[in-house]
Order: sequence, then structure tokens, then C-alpha cells
Amino acid sequence: MNTNAAVTFTGVTKSYGTVKAVDGLSLELHPGETVALLGPNGAGKSTTLDLLLGLRPADTGDVRVFGAGPRDAIVQGRVGAMLQSGGLMDEVTVRELVQLAVALHPKPYKADDVLTRAGITQIADRRVNKLSGGQEQRVRFALATAGDSDLIVLDEPTTGMDVSARQAFWATMREQADQGRTVLFATHYLEEADAIADRVLVLHRGRLLADGTAAEIKAKAGARKVSFDLEGPIDTAAVRALPFLTGIDISGQTVRIQSTDADATVHALYGLGVYPRNLEVAGLGLEQAFVAITAAEEAKSR
Amino acid sequence: MNSLIKLEITRALRNKKFLFFSVIYPSVLFLLIAGSADSSTIVDGTGLNLPAFMMVSMASFGALTAVLMGNSERIAKERESGWVRQLRLTTLPGRGYVLAKTASAAVVSLPSIVIVFVVAASFKDVRFDGWQWLALTGAIWAGSLCFAALGVAIGYVASGDAVRPITMIVYFGLSILGGLWMPTTTFPQWLQDIATWLPTHAYAALGQAIELGDAPHTRDVALIVVYFLLFAGGAAWLYRKDTLKA
Repeated sequence: MNTNAAVTFTGVTKSYGTVKAVDGLSLELHPGETVALLGPNGAGKSTTLDLLLGLRPADTGDVRVFGAGPRDAIVQGRVGAMLQSGGLMDEVTVRELVQLAVALHPKPYKADDVLTRAGITQIADRRVNKLSGGQEQRVRFALATAGDSDLIVLDEPTTGMDVSARQAFWATMREQADQGRTVLFATHYLEEADAIADRVLVLHRGRLLADGTAAEIKAKAGARKVSFDLEGPIDTAAVRALPFLTGIDISGQTVRIQSTDADATVHALYGLGVYPRNLEVAGLGLEQAFVAITAAEEAKSR
Repeated sequence: MNSLIKLEITRALRNKKFLFFSVIYPSVLFLLIAGSADSSTIVDGTGLNLPAFMMVSMASFGALTAVLMGNSERIAKERESGWVRQLRLTTLPGRGYVLAKTASAAVVSLPSIVIVFVVAASFKDVRFDGWQWLALTGAIWAGSLCFAALGVAIGYVASGDAVRPITMIVYFGLSILGGLWMPTTTFPQWLQDIATWLPTHAYAALGQAIELGDAPHTRDVALIVVYFLLFAGGAAWLYRKDTLKA
């Protein structure tokens, strides 16, 4: 075990009744990394973050944050976190809430700076229960960055934000990462992971399915499906030899293929001298992409 | 932890509905019930006249309102909203949240006691020695901790939707059966037998003993302490269970 790791999970499992939310998870985050925890709903992202933050105890295995237990790391002020289900205190103003977070942090920033950085200075005197969803998310972000923490954990931070708010949010987030912090965020948007993270962990059914750079994951999960009909006898060998194919299914006159570079594949298809009809190119969607990755992983291990 | 206590108090003082029911309402109720009675009306079996009797009852009732309602509903709602989880990501120790809630409830309950006393003394001419006023305030204020613990326990056992009806049933049940609204001597005998075992009955009895110039009875103090330990123990157990569930 690397003692310098920011976060270490060793064989961690967590079940709710008969459902294994996290199933033998081992991973290591290094200081300074920006890591996306990617997976569909129910993949175990939130549970993983709960375990990391000490909100739930693991059934088996060990969770370390900067070499300490999660609770100790929080008490030392090394972790700032924003939860998906993190409610806020009613009937107080945004400023009062931020001042509370600052007062509770061992290495606090000035409340005014925290408000500015989170972009909520204009709404600082508004009551917390009068905020929109996106504004609430910004307040949660302010609470997570009230002090000089080494690790920032964010559970689906852009939920409820529109596109421009989302972009502004990630710009703020990148500043945090540029200051040398370790940032871990959960998301189910591949694009978000791609745009922000140095490293992407793909979680599916509580297991770590893939671990690599965004480009590597995109190559695996960013596949597109191409389908078309061909007339007459199909030259199966030539179709199978198309570039960038990761999967193919021919039934009757209909060909369905999966490609990591649909443009190149379609270009090569026309190069075969055939005339495809009803050509459709569509994104695979994360859920299907996971199935594709799972299938690929299983094939590899066979 | 002080910062949270401060914020909880600020918030409690901002909530006008809560302030009305815990601070003003008991005094209004006192005037309604004791309004037409004069000091020659003696309450059966107590040796106290009606205004003096109702003063202790309503001061106890006001303190009960502040601590029970304040704690139970807030805790249940904030558990559900996830604020409790968010606080667990700070350096605040686990007990800090409950302590802050109880402290802010205690800050509101003190004026609710004092205002009933002031109203009783000015409008109904209730007179006691200086030590009695101080002892009354101290005993009723300290005794309210028992119900603060009950409020915490309800807050951890009830869901956000169920907390209000549950609190109301407990609150009115304990107030009426404990004799805070009318003397238990007006109850049938079997109900009186039950009432003497209720924490609210023992609670009001603390103040009544002081009004008669005595120390509170050992039985009443013991009863309050036992209930306090029961409620606080239950609250601690429920808190730990809730923490594991996250």
C-alpha cells in the first residue's frame, strides 16, 4: 500500500440486505489527481462516496483517507465534501450558513472569499429555503470549499444546473484542482468526466469496471452504433473487416455494428462499393456502453 | 460547536410561529383559565389558589412546548433533508448537533417561563418570596431538559411526515394527563392514579412544592430523573442507529 495515497480502498464491500452496493472494491487515488467516478444510477457511486467519507461503515475491507480513517481525516480538515442529498439548514441566510462552515473548518478561508469563489455573493443575504436548485448546489459547493482541504469530494455536483451554470461550476472546480487538490466527483455524464477529469473510474454494480484516462474510457465507452441494410448477398468478410469495429450483428439484410470511430467506419463502408440503405448512426448511451465494456472485459478474462 | 448553537438560536428567534406558541401562548392561556378566578379559589388537594397553581402549570407547559416541539420536528426534518449528513462531514462532534438543538430550545424556554411569571404577578397578583421565584425558574427550566431529550428521541424515531402528529399526540397527552391544563384532582380516580406516574405531573409538582415553601418531593425529582435517563438513553440509541443507516 502506498502511504502517500490520498484515498485507498482495499477489498471494500457494502451490502444493503441482499443487494451488494459495493462489491470488493480496491482503488487508490493519488494527491493532485482529478478523478471522475462514472457509472449509471445504482452503480454504487454514492455508496462508495459514503464509505470514503465515513458516513457508512464498510462491511468488509478498509478505507483510508491520507492514511487515516475517514472520520479522522475530516476532523483534521483534510476533506471537503458536497453530497447529492446534502440538505441545508432552513431559515438562515446563505452567508450565515457559509460562516458556520468556515467556523467549523480547522483550516478556514474567509467567509467572503468562499462566497465569491462559489459565485454566490449576490445571494448571500437570501434565506436558504428561497433558493433555486442550481443556487442550492452552489451553496453546497461553498460548504465543501470553506477551508483549505486537500481532498474535495463531490457527488453529482451539477444536478439541477442548466448548461451555462454547469460550465461556470466546472471552471470553479478546475481552479480547485489547479491549486494541487485532489478532486473526486461522481457523475453519470461521460462528457463531464471527459472534460474535467485526468482519470476516470467506471463503476458498475459496485465493481470497478475500468480505470484510465478519459480518452481511454471514451475509446471503450464512447462507441457508436451504426446500422444499415444491404441488398443482395452480403460480403460478410469485408463488412467484418471494416475499421474500428467493436461488435457486429448481421441478421438477414440488416447489419448492426458498433464502432469507436463511426465516421471512419462509414467512410470505409462506402469504400467497399456497396450502397447501404436506411443508414443510422447513434450514440451508444452510457448504459449500453457499460454493457459493451463489461462484455469486452469478460472476453478478455476468458 | 458554539457557532452552530449561535446559529440555531438566531434561527429559533426568527421563527415567529414557534415563538408565539412557546413564549406568548402559555401566558394567554394562563389569563384565560385563571382570568376570572380570584386568590380565594383553592385547588383541591394542593393547598394552592388557582392563579398560583395555573402559573406553575403554564410555565411548565410553555417550557415543554419550546423544548419538545423545537427539537422533534427540526431533527426529523433535517434528518430527512440530509442536513444532518452534511454536518457529519464537518469537525462537529456527533453529539454537537443535538446539544445545539437543545441549547437553542432552552434559550427560548427561559423567556416563556419568565413571561408567565410576570403576567401572573402583574395581572393576578401572585406573590412569592424572592428565593421562591428563583427556585421556580431554576426548577422548571432544568426540568424541561427531560422533555428536550424526549423531543430528540421523537426526532430520531419519526419520519418528516409523521413527526408533527406524533409530537402533537405526545404533547397534548402529556400536558392534559399530567395536569398542566386542569388539576388532576378533577379526573376520575383511575386516571389520577395513572397521572401521578407521568413526567409532566412530576414536573409541575416540582414548582407546586416550591410555591408551598417546600423543597420538591423526592419522588417527583426521582421520577423526572428516571424519565430523563430513559429519554436520553433512547435518544442516544436511536441516534447511533440512525448514524449507521446514514
